[in-house]
Amino acid sequence: MPRKPKKHSHSLRHRLVTFSPFARSKAMATRNRGATKVIEKPKLQNKDLATSSFNGFKNNGKDKTQQSGSSASSDDEEFEGDVQADFVFFDPKPSDFHGVKVLLQTYLDNLQWDLSGFVDLILGQPTVGTVVKIENDEDDAVYSVVSALNLGRYKDSKCVLELKDYLLKVCRDMDVKGKLKSLVGEHVQDVGLLVSQRVVNLPPQLLPPLYNGLFDEVEWATEDEPTEELQSSFRFKFYLIISKIYKHKSADQNGGTVKNGEETLIYNRPEDEIFFMLSSWSFSFPSHAQQVTANEMQLKNYRPMGLVMVVEASKISSFRKQLHSLIDE
Amino acid sequence: MATRLQYENNCEIGVFSKLTNAYCLVAIGGSENFYSTFEAELADVIPVVKTSIAGTRIIGRMCAGNKKGLLLPHNTTDQELQHLRNSLPDSVVVQRIEERLSALGNCISCNDHVALTHPDLDKETEELIADVLGVEVFRQTVAGNILVGSYCTFSNIGGLVHPHTSIEDLDELSTLLQVPLVAGTVNRGSDVIAAGLTVNDWTAFCGSDTTATELSVIESVFKLREAKPSALVDEMRKSLIDTYV
Repeated sequence: MPRKPKKHSHSLRHRLVTFSPFARSKAMATRNRGATKVIEKPKLQNKDLATSSFNGFKNNGKDKTQQSGSSASSDDEEFEGDVQADFVFFDPKPSDFHGVKVLLQTYLDNLQWDLSGFVDLILGQPTVGTVVKIENDEDDAVYSVVSALNLGRYKDSKCVLELKDYLLKVCRDMDVKGKLKSLVGEHVQDVGLLVSQRVVNLPPQLLPPLYNGLFDEVEWATEDEPTEELQSSFRFKFYLIISKIYKHKSADQNGGTVKNGEETLIYNRPEDEIFFMLSSWSFSFPSHAQQVTANEMQLKNYRPMGLVMVVEASKISSFRKQLHSLIDE
Repeated sequence: MATRLQYENNCEIGVFSKLTNAYCLVAIGGSENFYSTFEAELADVIPVVKTSIAGTRIIGRMCAGNKKGLLLPHNTTDQELQHLRNSLPDSVVVQRIEERLSALGNCISCNDHVALTHPDLDKETEELIADVLGVEVFRQTVAGNILVGSYCTFSNIGGLVHPHTSIEDLDELSTLLQVPLVAGTVNRGSDVIAAGLTVNDWTAFCGSDTTATELSVIESVFKLREAKPSALVDEMRKSLIDTYV
């Protein structure tokens, strides 16, 4: 039974701190549109401006917010105020191919692999997985994608084979390598690859409903799927997560401790920290892909790394609670 | 023949390369695989030159050229300009132009005889294009898009345009360009034709996401399928004498 798109209208007082080229261009586009609108119709009342919407973005023009490091336009107008956007969750469908592919470009670092095939796997699973878009967006851009893929179910596909080879290749930690081998070998039927990618500035308030939705769908799939085989394919015992972090450059030398009270590890995404604490085991590996970082100065002592974690399925309810409290504080 | 390839998991071949009848430019920084695919097809016939433009890898979108010349944006560095002048054949005029719209590949689409340009291009630039590239210049839009260089790509034999181009527009453009045109997509439904595909008179390169249907359309409109007798006759038609009266 097809589920209707779940609506989450968040009226966001969220300052868009844009520090990725994608977000910058999006912000630039709305800023310019907003600016032109103000110039062309100076008699518009504030409330008219607020109710008129183009592409779902509304410009309130309340407080002036400085955009960190962006001054590419000759316009004197600063990026004004907050932007409202209605995010909508959809089931993945084949027309989302290009949007999802863009989000997954650096999933396996700079490896050249069958990314298109991998995206097809995600889109071929409408029952488990979510794609986040903006309401009435004429570009139909994808802002986030989450999914859980049973590695055993897809073990013969080229992309999964390449993914497994890659993980085994980058794992330098010998103790962990054995566990990894058994996980992708004998126990592959119980492993769910948790794919979660999003634009850098997606509001964190969306994360609890996004992850809750995913884990609920996994549970429903164990009952709703048409065949017994498919139902059992969603009874995951482990979740495998591939993600990115920053490690302090001197962390390895000083035996894991860092001077000056700086953090050893910086997580790109808040949920990674919770996953890491709940993980049964994990390993990290140096990352080679070009990283676009905002705060170059703050991150100059850090090296970008990839992080692979395995979390037992039983720990997921704890994860949901912790994520909830983390975001709501 | 059309070849499918990728640049670092990215299927936008027309962004990272520029192919003409006299030379081929390829972006630096990709894997050797990318470069060697071009070499394998083209090495004996035309030079394949690795370069950057204005320090970027998006060379296909920054420059515009044909067998007679190459136009570079104002932000091309002197070293890049010199490197290109040295590497390309002498018959190719390499010129850096002062134009506000610096992504020339997005603004200009051309073959060896005709060029379509962005409606807002300077008059000076238009004259330079006619001069350096030896073409007739037309200011046009394609399916309502002003970035003609992005949404259509054509060789001396055929052309592919944005999928939403109307029949009237297709006819008009076809008359202007004097080549058969077809509205289609590349890279699994992407409508940015010139970003996904780069073509000359005998070969084409497109992204690996291109479906078999799209590929067959490309091969048929650009007449890339090998040695069909009709192809030869079409070429020679003007000089053949059919009947004596």
